[in-house]
Amino acid sequence: MIRRREKVLIGVSAVAVVLWTVVPFFWMIYASLMHEHEVQQGLLRVVEDPTLENYERIFGLSETEALFGGQTKSILRGFMNSFIVALPTAIIGTIVAALAGYAFGRFKFPAKTPLLFTLLMTRVLPPIAILIPYFTLFREVGMVGNHAGLIITYLTGVIPLLTWVLMGYFATLPVEMERAARLDGCSRLGVLWYIILPMAAPGIAAAFIIAFLFSWNELLFGIILTGGTSAQTLSPALLAISPLTATGYSGMALFSAASCLSILPPLLLALVFQRYITSLNIVDPVTFRED
Amino acid sequence: MAGPARSRASLTDPQFALIIVSGVIIFHFIIIIIPLGYSFWLSLHETNVILRSTEYVGFDKWGEVLTSKQTINGTLLSLYFAGIAVVLSFLLSLGIALVLNQDFPGRGFLRAMILLPWAVSEVVTATMWTIILEPNWGVLNGIFPGTLWISQDWAMFWVAFAFVWHMAPLGAFFFLAALQTIPKHLYYSARIDRAGMFARFQYVTLPHIRYAVLIVLVVVTVEAFRQFDLVFAMTGGGPGTVTQILPLLIFRYNFQFSEYGLAAAASYILIIIATMLAVAYFVALTQKKTKARAVTESPGAVRVRT
Repeated sequence: MIRRREKVLIGVSAVAVVLWTVVPFFWMIYASLMHEHEVQQGLLRVVEDPTLENYERIFGLSETEALFGGQTKSILRGFMNSFIVALPTAIIGTIVAALAGYAFGRFKFPAKTPLLFTLLMTRVLPPIAILIPYFTLFREVGMVGNHAGLIITYLTGVIPLLTWVLMGYFATLPVEMERAARLDGCSRLGVLWYIILPMAAPGIAAAFIIAFLFSWNELLFGIILTGGTSAQTLSPALLAISPLTATGYSGMALFSAASCLSILPPLLLALVFQRYITSLNIVDPVTFRED
Repeated sequence: MAGPARSRASLTDPQFALIIVSGVIIFHFIIIIIPLGYSFWLSLHETNVILRSTEYVGFDKWGEVLTSKQTINGTLLSLYFAGIAVVLSFLLSLGIALVLNQDFPGRGFLRAMILLPWAVSEVVTATMWTIILEPNWGVLNGIFPGTLWISQDWAMFWVAFAFVWHMAPLGAFFFLAALQTIPKHLYYSARIDRAGMFARFQYVTLPHIRYAVLIVLVVVTVEAFRQFDLVFAMTGGGPGTVTQILPLLIFRYNFQFSEYGLAAAASYILIIIATMLAVAYFVALTQKKTKARAVTESPGAVRVRT
């Protein structure tokens, strides 16, 4: 009898977890299919004629869009800019962090613990605390409003995080194959390339995805370093049309549609990531090997 | 040893490690230390935007920040935000992980799904929860019209609530990873001893996930103190200043009022809090090391690593 009651409890709580996760998504999609005036009358109503108008406006397919001066173009441009920023960030960040993570996870070397601590410190530091000096310095050297400035900034956030994650991952890989390869005359870089890389592929893929998501989603540095310029990334572009802010000019329905589109790349990646996350030993990042 | 490999092979382990880690080290110093130093310099100077001149004022700005009502208010709001975020994320992520750790049809699908709120940006999280919470046309107002708890007094709470929705999946994955290391036979024997669900949780589960508990608490605290995007996108600090947490206040000092010195001084409050959190984090992470060794060295324990 107890077992049956437990089964019911598990079923109910599983449904609760699903609802908790899905309901906010549902309402955003729902709002994106409404006409603008319908939103103002309250969302909790049956939509009689769902419309794709908001999506058409974003893709510039709607005739009425000319009346709005084509301002929704900023969303598509934001997509492009976010890709231009997120891809190099993820690639460079993963390479640098993989090398560092391998060193931290495998070897003992001088000043290892203080270095680890400063890495963690960077991770913990609120972005706003380094934003102000960045902005001033970047303005001096003319790096405001271009992709390179943003990529550099994102790397500062991504590299410490990935180094910690990958360090734990490398530490769990068996060391025997490396030793065998070294004995057979393989160089250290050869070991990295032929032995470590294939073994660590799932962890490195996961790290790449974390880095991509980070840069895709980031708002604060995006606003300050690219906001209002032609290099504006997606999050600031979204916020610029948000009716929630003072400068926003669009309605909630259009904003919802743009938000729905903006989460497609992250959601796809998260579904891929899900398979790899179990391979990432992020719970236990400091398994130092005592070799 | 083969010829071509010889030159590289002559490196010792620590030398090789330092070479491949140097990228991170160089990056660090250029990117973190210099800006922090510059920010410290800014906090000691009064900048006149119009004349483009700076004047050394010592620790005046620090004094101003430490005694200003706005900063105290902002710090308290940050603490409140972090408090709610930590308590709720902890409970929710543990709850989600316990559910996902059970055997039921569709579990794999559910596991993939719960990660989605974490993958969504803070800006979109703000959109979703605004749609639900908006006091005029929002969903919640449609269900319970005119409820009091969708008011200014609750604004900070709801922002923290949205943050919890966004962060809980990460905590759940930490917990789930820990839960899966618990040997199943412990639960079977507990069942044979007629231990109920709660007893099994208390005596079997909890001792095994203590470390994950620590990590989740620290990670969520850190994220809550760093958080800017969500609050900025959801309320922008308003209505009035009721959600103007410290990072938002610093943003305003700097970009709205051009008070660079004040902003830099106020950001040092955050830096000090962050340093304390980092120390706690580091101690928490490295504590595991000694514990793990104790387990492997106890007689009869299975040696997992060699």
